[in-house]
Amino acid sequence: MKIDRRLFANFDWVLLGLVLLISGIGILNLYSAGSNLSAGGEPLYIKQMTWVLLGLVMMVIAFSVDYHIIIRHAYLIYVISVLLLLLVFFYGNITHGSQRWLALYGFSFQPSELMKLAIIIVLVRYFDDNMEKGYRFGNLVVLLTVVGIPFFMIARQPDLGTAMFLMVLFLSMAVFAGVGRKFLIYFTLGGMILAPLCWFFMKDYQRERILTFLSPERDPLGAGYHIIQSIIAIGSGGIWGKGFLKGTQTQLRFLPEQQTDFVFSVFAEEWGFGGVFVLMFIFFVLIMWGLKITRYSRDLPGALTAFGVTMFVFWGIFINVGMAIGIFPVVGIPLPFFSYGGSSMIALMIGAGLLMNVSMRRFILQP
Amino acid sequence: MFGNQDRLTNYDPWKFRKKIRVVIWLVFLAFFILTARLWYLQVVKGDNLRQRSENNRIRIQEIKPLRGLIMDTHGDILVDNQSSFDISIIPEAAKNIEDVMSKLAGLCDWGPDAIFYDNASFKSGKPFVPVRISRNIGRDKLATVETNSMDLPGVVVDVVPVREYIYGEMMAHILGYVGEISASELNRDAYSGYRLDDIVGKYGIEKYLDEYLKGERGGEQTEVDAVGRRLNVLGKIKSVPGHNVILNIDADLQKICWDAFQEKAGTAIVMDPRTGCVMAMVNRPSFDPNLFNRGISGENWKKLTTNPLCPLQNKAVSGQYPPGSTYKLVVAAAALEEGLVTEDTQIFCDGTYRMGDRTFRCWKKGGHGTVDLHRAIVESCDVYFYHLGEMLGVDKLAEYAAGFGFGYTTGVALPGEKKGLVPTKEWKLKKYGEPWQRGETTSLSIGQGFSLVTPLQLLRAYCSIANGGILYRPRLIKGIETVDRQTVRGFPPEKERSIPVSGKNVDILKHGLWGAVNEPHGTGWALKRKEMDVCGKTGTAQVISMPEDGEDQKGDVPYRFRDHALFVCFVPYKDPEIAVLVIVEHGGHGGSVSAPIARRIVDGYFNLERKEQKM
Repeated sequence: MKIDRRLFANFDWVLLGLVLLISGIGILNLYSAGSNLSAGGEPLYIKQMTWVLLGLVMMVIAFSVDYHIIIRHAYLIYVISVLLLLLVFFYGNITHGSQRWLALYGFSFQPSELMKLAIIIVLVRYFDDNMEKGYRFGNLVVLLTVVGIPFFMIARQPDLGTAMFLMVLFLSMAVFAGVGRKFLIYFTLGGMILAPLCWFFMKDYQRERILTFLSPERDPLGAGYHIIQSIIAIGSGGIWGKGFLKGTQTQLRFLPEQQTDFVFSVFAEEWGFGGVFVLMFIFFVLIMWGLKITRYSRDLPGALTAFGVTMFVFWGIFINVGMAIGIFPVVGIPLPFFSYGGSSMIALMIGAGLLMNVSMRRFILQP
Repeated sequence: MFGNQDRLTNYDPWKFRKKIRVVIWLVFLAFFILTARLWYLQVVKGDNLRQRSENNRIRIQEIKPLRGLIMDTHGDILVDNQSSFDISIIPEAAKNIEDVMSKLAGLCDWGPDAIFYDNASFKSGKPFVPVRISRNIGRDKLATVETNSMDLPGVVVDVVPVREYIYGEMMAHILGYVGEISASELNRDAYSGYRLDDIVGKYGIEKYLDEYLKGERGGEQTEVDAVGRRLNVLGKIKSVPGHNVILNIDADLQKICWDAFQEKAGTAIVMDPRTGCVMAMVNRPSFDPNLFNRGISGENWKKLTTNPLCPLQNKAVSGQYPPGSTYKLVVAAAALEEGLVTEDTQIFCDGTYRMGDRTFRCWKKGGHGTVDLHRAIVESCDVYFYHLGEMLGVDKLAEYAAGFGFGYTTGVALPGEKKGLVPTKEWKLKKYGEPWQRGETTSLSIGQGFSLVTPLQLLRAYCSIANGGILYRPRLIKGIETVDRQTVRGFPPEKERSIPVSGKNVDILKHGLWGAVNEPHGTGWALKRKEMDVCGKTGTAQVISMPEDGEDQKGDVPYRFRDHALFVCFVPYKDPEIAVLVIVEHGGHGGSVSAPIARRIVDGYFNLERKEQKM
C-alpha cells in the first residue's frame, strides 16, 4: 500500500504536543515525588522517561496502521487481553494482597491496563456491526458478556477500581452509540441487583475504603489517613504552592502512594492553585481536542474509537483528581500521562496513537 | 470494500454532533466541579490547611527487626548484633550547613577527614532528604552530639544494627555475611516479601537461613517537628526478632582446625560419621565477614576477588579436586562387590603397567612386588588398581562412585555447593564428541583424569565406610529456635541411603585403612597414635598429568601446577566417632603435608574431650 502524503499533512501535532507537555510535567513532578525515597535502583522519573519513550514507539505503531484494520482484528485483540488476564490469575505476582502483575522478561506488566484499550476497540467493532439493525435483548446479553468477563476477572484480582472503570467506559460508549432507553433501564436494574452482591464479595480493605470515603475522619490514623493527608497536601499548597521539592507533605512522606494514586496532590502542594489551574486547563484542552476529533471523524468506527479513547482519558482525570480532593473513594485509577506506571503510560500512548490515527485519516477515503 | 462505502453513506454525523455538544457541556461541568473544589481547598481553606500541614506531626515509620543470632553446638555465640551510629543532616532544618558542620567538627574534635559528605548532595536541591555525613561514630561522640543537639539544628542520629562476627575469618565461609538487598534480588520471586533497604544474607548460613534469621518488621508512630525530626513516640508495633540458629559446629574444634592449617591454603572438615554432623569446616585463606557489614570498600573487595587463592570460595563444598589415591577405596569396593577379586587376589607390581603403547607408572619406583588387596591399600600400590580399573571398566566404576555419593550435591545447608564429576563413556561422548579411551580408565582407577570430587563428598564417602555403610546427609544446622528457646525446626540425622557394599567388604576396606596408618610401609604413618587406632588414606591429586618420563614433581614446578595433598581419616578403628579430611592446595604429597595437619586436628579433638570430661 502506498502511503498517502495527506497522512503527513494531516498529522495531529497539537495532540502530540499536549501529550508530551503533560508527560513532561508528570516526569518533573515524579522527580519531586521520588526524591524522598531512599536510594536503590533507577530513580522513578528516569524509569518514567523510559516508559514515555517506549509509549511513543507504540504510539507510532498505533497511528501507522489504518484504524479500520485494527478494528477488523478487534476480537483477536480482545481474546489476547482476556488470555493475559487469565495468565495473571495463574502466574501473577502478588503485591499488597492483590494479584495484578505479570512478570515478563524482568518487566512487570499489568494486563488490566491493556484491557481498557481492548474493551474500547471491541465495543467499536460490535456497535459498528450492529448499529443499523437496532438493539434487541440479545445484544444486551452479548455486550454484558463481553464486558462482564474482564470485569469479573479484574474484580477478583482484586482491583475493583479498574473493574468499575471498564463499566464506566462501557456505559459512556453505549450511551454515545445510542443503545436506547430500554437497554439502559435493563442495565440499571441489573446493576442495582448486583451492587449488594459486590459488597458481599469485596475484601475488607475495599469495604473499609468505601466507608472511609463516606466519612474520612472515622479513622484518622488508619484508613482515612490517606484521604486526609492528601487534602492537607493540596490545601496547604495555597495559591502559589510551596515550591518545587519543598512540599512538606510529600517530602516528609505524610502523603502516601505519592507516585501513583496521589501524584496529583504532590503537584498541587508544590505548585498551588496557580499550577493546578494550568494543569487542569491543559487536560481540559486535551479532552476537548479528543471530542473535536470525534466530531470530525469520517465514519462511525472512527467516531466511536475517538470517543472511547477520549472517555478513557477523561474518566481517568476525573476519578483520580476526584480521589485526591476527596470527592471519590480511593480506587487506584492513575492520572493519565502523569502517574508513575509503565503499563498505564503505554496503554494511554497507544490510545493517543489511535486518536491521531482517526484524526489524520479523516479526509481520506478507503480505496 | 463495499461495506465501508455503505457505511460511509449511512453515517450520519449530525446525530453525533448533537450528542457531542451534550458531552462537551458535561465535561465542562466535570472540570468545573474539580476546579471549584480545588479553589475551595487551596484558596478558601488554604491558610487553614497550611496550618494543619505545619502541625502535621504524626508520622508512621517502620522498625527494622534484629536478626537472629547464630550459635555453635554448645550455645556459644558466633554472630551477634551491634549498634552502629550514623550522623546525618537535614539541609532544610540546618539552614546554614557550613556553620553546623564546623560546630559539629569542633565538638567532636574531628579533623577534616572524619566527615565525609559531598557538597553535591546538599546542592541537589532536595531539602528534606537527610545527607549522611559520618558513619559509625563511637558512643562518646554520640553522647556529645546528643547533649548538644539544641546547638546543632538539622543534625540527626541514625541507629543501624550491624552484625558482629566474633570469630572473624575463622568461620567466614560457614556463617557468610549480610548486605543491603540489591535491585536484582528484589526482582526475584524468592525475595517477594522484601523491601528496598532490607538487610539480607548474601552468603553462607546467613543466606541459606535468611527467612528464619531476618525477623518481622514493626512500625512506630512518632511525633515529628516541622522539618521531620523525631520528638517522641506515640505508638508502636514491636518488631519480632529473627530466630536463633544453632549449628553443629564446635567453635573450639574449629579453632583447632584453623590453627592446625597454619598459613597453608586449603580446607579441612571434621564430621561425626555416626550422624553426619559437620563439627568443623575451615577454609584457608579466608576473609573477614565484618568487612561487609556497612558495605565493603572497593579496595578491599578488589583485594579479595583478585587473590589467586580465592579467599571468598568455600572450598569444602565449592572446590572440586581430583580425588587421587583416596579414590582407590571406591575402586576396591567395586571390584570386591562385582566378585572380580577377593581379599587374597595377588598381583605383581614391577613399577610399571603397559596399556597399548602407553606406560603407566606406580608411584614407587621399582614396584611393590607381589601384593594382595590389603597391601595394595596399605601401600597405595597404583599398579594393583590399574588392573582393577581395567577389569571393571569406566561405567561400572561410575556406578559405584555414584553409590558413594559422588557426582551429585550432598544437600548440606550452604549455598553454592558443587556436584563434582563422575565421568562415563556417554558423558565423554557428549562433552568432547570423542569415544572413551581405555587409558583414561587407567588414570581414573587411581583418582586422576576427569574425576572431580568436593571435599565434603569425599569425607562423607569415608564416613560411610567408618559407620558400616550408611551415607548420611551432612548436617551443619542443629536446630532453629525462637528468642525464648522454643524449637522452630529440628534437624535430626538424615540417612540418605546405604552404600552398595556388603558389611563383610566394608570391613575389608576399613581394615585396609587401618593398615595404611598402623602397618609397616603404610602411607598414613604420620597418624599412628598410641592410645587410639586411626584409619586413613593419603592422596596426591595431580593438577597436570604426570610426564611420561616418570619423574616426580620437583621444587621448581610453578605453584599453580603443584599437586594437591589429600588426607582422609577416621578414628577410632572400632566405632569411629570423628572423621577428618584435609586438603592442602598445591601442597605436594598427602602423606607428608596433609597428614600432619590431620594429626594435629585428631590430637586436638581428643585433648578437648579429655578437658570436657575433667570439667
